[in-house]
Amino acid sequence: MSNAAGGRESLRRFSTARIVEHLALIALFLVLAATGLAQKFHHFELSQWLLSAAGGVDRARQLHHWAGAVLAALIAVHVVTAWVGIFAFRRSFAMLVTPQDFRNAVQDLRYHLAQRERPAACDRYDYKQKFTYWMILISCALMALTGLALWFPVTVARFLPGEAIPLAATLHSHQALVILLVVVVWHVYDSVLNPDVFPLDTSIFTGRMSRTRMRRLHPRELDRLERGSSESVGGGGAPAG
Amino acid sequence: MTGKAVRMLLALALCTGVGAAASETEACLACHADKGHAIEFPEGERIEAFVDEAEFRASVHGFLACTDCHDRTITPAGHEQRRFRSEELFKLRYSRICRRCHSDEEIAGTEVHDSLLAREADGHAPVCTDCHPAHAVRPAAGGLILAVEEHHCLECHADQAPAAPPAEVGPGDDRARRRVHHNLSCSGCHAGFSVTEHPQGAPAFDGAVPVAPEDICRRCHFDKYTKTHESIHFEMAGRGRPDTPTCLNCHGSHRIVNLSYDRVGSAGKCRECHPKLYATYAASVHGDALVSEHNRDVPICSDCHRAHDIGNPLTQDYRDDIPVMCANCHADAAIVGKYGLSTDVVRTYLSDFHGSTVSIYRDQEAGAYRLPRPIAVCTDCHGTHDIRSMTALGTAGTKALLLTKCRQCHEGAGSDFPDAWLSHYIPSMATAPALYLVDRAYRVLLPLLLLGMLLQVLLHAWRHATGRRGT
Repeated sequence: MSNAAGGRESLRRFSTARIVEHLALIALFLVLAATGLAQKFHHFELSQWLLSAAGGVDRARQLHHWAGAVLAALIAVHVVTAWVGIFAFRRSFAMLVTPQDFRNAVQDLRYHLAQRERPAACDRYDYKQKFTYWMILISCALMALTGLALWFPVTVARFLPGEAIPLAATLHSHQALVILLVVVVWHVYDSVLNPDVFPLDTSIFTGRMSRTRMRRLHPRELDRLERGSSESVGGGGAPAG
Repeated sequence: MTGKAVRMLLALALCTGVGAAASETEACLACHADKGHAIEFPEGERIEAFVDEAEFRASVHGFLACTDCHDRTITPAGHEQRRFRSEELFKLRYSRICRRCHSDEEIAGTEVHDSLLAREADGHAPVCTDCHPAHAVRPAAGGLILAVEEHHCLECHADQAPAAPPAEVGPGDDRARRRVHHNLSCSGCHAGFSVTEHPQGAPAFDGAVPVAPEDICRRCHFDKYTKTHESIHFEMAGRGRPDTPTCLNCHGSHRIVNLSYDRVGSAGKCRECHPKLYATYAASVHGDALVSEHNRDVPICSDCHRAHDIGNPLTQDYRDDIPVMCANCHADAAIVGKYGLSTDVVRTYLSDFHGSTVSIYRDQEAGAYRLPRPIAVCTDCHGTHDIRSMTALGTAGTKALLLTKCRQCHEGAGSDFPDAWLSHYIPSMATAPALYLVDRAYRVLLPLLLLGMLLQVLLHAWRHATGRRGT
């Protein structure tokens, strides 16, 4: 994404911290998905190959536990910094789900069904990105809690009924599939295969997006920027909706 | 039938070969049915020229005339006398007479005859009458050699006579009573012995023997023999343990029955060396059913430990196989269904953490890293040789037992910890409502989520492809 003149000029959307955070998220997701799904579907040959590549199921579990712990820490830091940013530094809560998101979803549906000429005009994060964000965030919290119950069942069973352990196992196992679907079907389409961004929406890796693409995908944010607001950077940014 | 007809039939019979043979035999037996006649050879050897009339008439050659084999001129005064230099030459001559009717092609195909024919090719002609007594040849079906050898050998070794199978054979299966080696002669196993040969210092097959019994048995049972090389007993023998069992310790020697059909007897064989384990087993739910009911559904020692390739039960591989051993019966509704037991026990175990871990262990490479702690298998909770019915314990008793079992691996487990295991129940509203509802909800919502996202993706792509985009 070059910083060319005119319509090709690019605008900064993400700070370096966010870029690093996303890269860490990708790496941890791959490790957790590979070591976790290989256990869930252990009868598949690919799973057995993955488990043996990890050095056996016990090594794969150790890797899964510690990758999970790092991800949980990453999520905790993310939530705390967002909280501090929003409430202490009065930054905007751009990921907040608002009525506008539902209106945008309906508008896009009408657009998809050829009942409307233009797609919905979205702000800094469109309703699809918010859906992905909240699904991943809530799922990660659930996975961390249920994962802890599976990692330390004896300790957890001291405070909760014993049935909590198999319940945690079921939640952990099913929610893993939810995350997989959201990431593979939804997020990968939206950020990679989507004709609007194909071959890749690079903004989360470079931190920048071209004005042209901004105009098409995040018109409300661009309007606000052009009205004189400073360039938005970081987890906060332009006011929601 | 009139008297005239009877006379006609008798006349007809006299004109036929059968009638001629019969009259000739009678003439010969007039002298040879009595003992005292003998052929003597220059070296001092002597053969009785006695023929047991009853045996001869019952033999397969009873229809032959004497001169069919003894081709000499017989006159009313007697018969010509031939002279042989030795008994051996005499017998060889008569063996050649046997071969006039019994061609090489006919007799080939059995192990004994093939080896004799091979020796003959090297210049050692076989003597048929060594095995087939000249005037008492029995039908081949039914053990021609055995009959002769048994008669010969058992004159001294009567205590080894094959007899009825042991008394502990259970009722209900006649196959268990059938001797499996009834077609074998003594020399089939005791090589080098025959009606004429009896080496001194003979193998007794009871320990310090020049020929190990396995070496005899393997000639026919090579598959089983090969398996024994993977056995813990073979390993013990390699370490020089003198009490290592061989084939004969389990199967016996002269009264061998098929242990596959004699499950009580099979377990009894193990008992001889493992009496304490057997006593524990006999008091278990499985052993009790075997001993008191002769129940054929319950496992005996060899079902879990195998018969010939008995593995070391203290190895990790053996432990990993235990759920499969139990599943052999407990996943088979045709077996456990009869006793009101559910096949869910295996399914629920395998879908749980412990079961899936053991399944993965079984699938992964042998050298892969494993934590140095055991994963619970069936026997850790249910016991091994002392397995008892859990229903008799009741809910509280089962939970108390489970807690002690859990604590063997999970130190400090609280009293509620056993509830983490759903006791082989598939979650339902009755057994684990929260788990059941969560599971159902996901099973409904997951496909809906996938469908919704796919629809969104497809609609978006379709809208793009039709080219009616905004902007």
